[in-house]
Amino acid sequence: MVNQEELRNKAKEVLEREDVRRLIGWKRGTYGFEAAPCVIEKPEEAVNLIFDPTCVQNSASFIVLEEKLPVPRGQEPDTRKIAVMVKGCDSRAIVQHIVEKAYDRDDIVILGIPCTGVLDRRKAEKVFGIIEKPAEASTEGDKVIVKVGNEQKEFERSEILMDKCLRCRHPNPVISDILLGEEVEKWADDDFSDVQEFESKSPKDKWSFWEEQFSKCIRCYACRNVCPMCYCIDCVVTKLRPQWTRRSTDISENTVYHIQRAWHLAGRCIECMECERVCPMNIPIMTLNRKMTLEVKQMFDYEPGLDVEAKPLLASYNPQDPEEYIM
Amino acid sequence: MGEYKFSKENLGKVLEALKDYKVYAPQKKADVVRFQELSDPSEITLEFTNTNVPPKEIMFPQTETLFRFKVGGQDIEPRVPEPTDKMLVFGLRPCDARAYSIVDKLWQWDFIDPYVKNRRESSTIVGFACSEPCANCFCTSLGGGPADEENLDAILFDLGEVFYLKTITEKGDEFVQKCGEALESAGDVERKNAQAQGKEAIEKIRRSIEVEGISEKLPGLFNDAIWKEFSSRCLGCGICTYLCPTCHCFDIQDETEALDGRRARMWDTCMFAEYTLHASGHNPRPTRAERTRNRISHKYSYFPEKFGVVACVGCGRCINFCPVNIDILDILGKVKEA
Repeated sequence: MVNQEELRNKAKEVLEREDVRRLIGWKRGTYGFEAAPCVIEKPEEAVNLIFDPTCVQNSASFIVLEEKLPVPRGQEPDTRKIAVMVKGCDSRAIVQHIVEKAYDRDDIVILGIPCTGVLDRRKAEKVFGIIEKPAEASTEGDKVIVKVGNEQKEFERSEILMDKCLRCRHPNPVISDILLGEEVEKWADDDFSDVQEFESKSPKDKWSFWEEQFSKCIRCYACRNVCPMCYCIDCVVTKLRPQWTRRSTDISENTVYHIQRAWHLAGRCIECMECERVCPMNIPIMTLNRKMTLEVKQMFDYEPGLDVEAKPLLASYNPQDPEEYIM
Repeated sequence: MGEYKFSKENLGKVLEALKDYKVYAPQKKADVVRFQELSDPSEITLEFTNTNVPPKEIMFPQTETLFRFKVGGQDIEPRVPEPTDKMLVFGLRPCDARAYSIVDKLWQWDFIDPYVKNRRESSTIVGFACSEPCANCFCTSLGGGPADEENLDAILFDLGEVFYLKTITEKGDEFVQKCGEALESAGDVERKNAQAQGKEAIEKIRRSIEVEGISEKLPGLFNDAIWKEFSSRCLGCGICTYLCPTCHCFDIQDETEALDGRRARMWDTCMFAEYTLHASGHNPRPTRAERTRNRISHKYSYFPEKFGVVACVGCGRCINFCPVNIDILDILGKVKEA
């Protein structure tokens, strides 16, 4: 795992550069199993940075979450770079941003951190309950060690890490300017058995499953806002004129929202699982995204967020593309 | 005031006997605990610290039809709930009950909201004392407590083998009359156990904030850097407000299908950009910093200034559910330091 001292020193160095205006990383949370993402501007704030398996949030989301107000007349916009610390999945979001021209490669400085997996707070809370002090975590070989106060517990990966980590195809950053720590060896592979398992249900069972899940949605839009790929300035579901989706919550409007969200991520989802992690109503949102991921992979042999030179899936065309879905 | 007990196996029988009421009770469905109308007594769950969705949704549903109309017509068909429908809210945590009484001040302020008022007046509230507060509970800082009886008609304690039920108001006594034969009268033993449990629960509360002074301090921090500091990682989602038992903002929209229309109101949140978006395109709260400031200031400054009470009950939901660790106690701590 990356040395914390090295991480802070590098971050400080980067923040001292004249062409960098802010850095996105993680600091210890106030409680529990998740760190707090943080955006810092002063080099001296780098002492608070950490990286360990509690750093669950996708840091790339905070690049596109930055709010840019109109610059007052006579002033120049700040065009200095944003530095960002990334895990493997976070780095894929950055690649996809660049592919989609959300910003230029030159606008950011990427501090890549090889990742050994991040904690699933739901799994951890089943073991420890909600804890009032922040936990610390590390990995040693195949084991994950979670430290809560003076208590230390060792887990198998599957017992405590997020499901995405149990099928992680890219634990090392796929793009970086500065690599912190040694690259790690891939420990898992993805056979999409979760998608196949769901597929094996009857249409009736599938619908009754989603009906129950969508019915409980409170449309807080946390899944949309946390998604690194959801960065439209004016989202179709909150647009007021014309209003495509009603604000009222019911099975119909909620379903429209979720299907729409999933479709807009076709060929774009980089599987960071943030949508599912943040959901206060425990809706297994990734089940939809994973289906799209598999579909895109099988039909177009396309995997987003790996190559900055790639074209966006929906903006590319190949005469050999399958077209059996076209009536 | 009466004191009763009943064995755990008899919970179903007690609920079964309450035919006169529309009973709302915590139920766990698809991994979420929330208050819903109880059609089958076996579906109740009392295994929770705080429900995912606060029971404000019973009085103030997320989406509610105010009236129906015909497009082009002049008549409306109101949908105000009848005050005669007797409702029983069973298993409400004392903090959530406190939230009811706090927000009532607004619902019955310059305009009396008949929708909420009728439900509130026709409700009997049976509280459920906490024995295991969650790590982020801080109700004791805001004048509440895990076994606080204020705002309740009766309170239930889980004493292991039996439930101890104590009535507090006449409405509570009336409820007990309907509970049927499963109730036995309770004595000193149960009372003492319940009191001990309440005391222990207070000691188990690990987080706190000294509220005094915050209300006066906040207006002076209107342009302070702390708002930007916290909001730089804010997602701008509705979790903290939608799941807050005292947040009560709503939007009103007309929805039509062919010639049938309804005017509905639905939860809104000051954390969304559209909340303050003007028709001109101007937004007086242009970034999440102003929105975060509003969320905290409304609870801890504007509301107390107007109604004399802080609009927060310390239930901990906004802390527990925030995906980016924006911790209200952390913010309030910084406010005090500033």
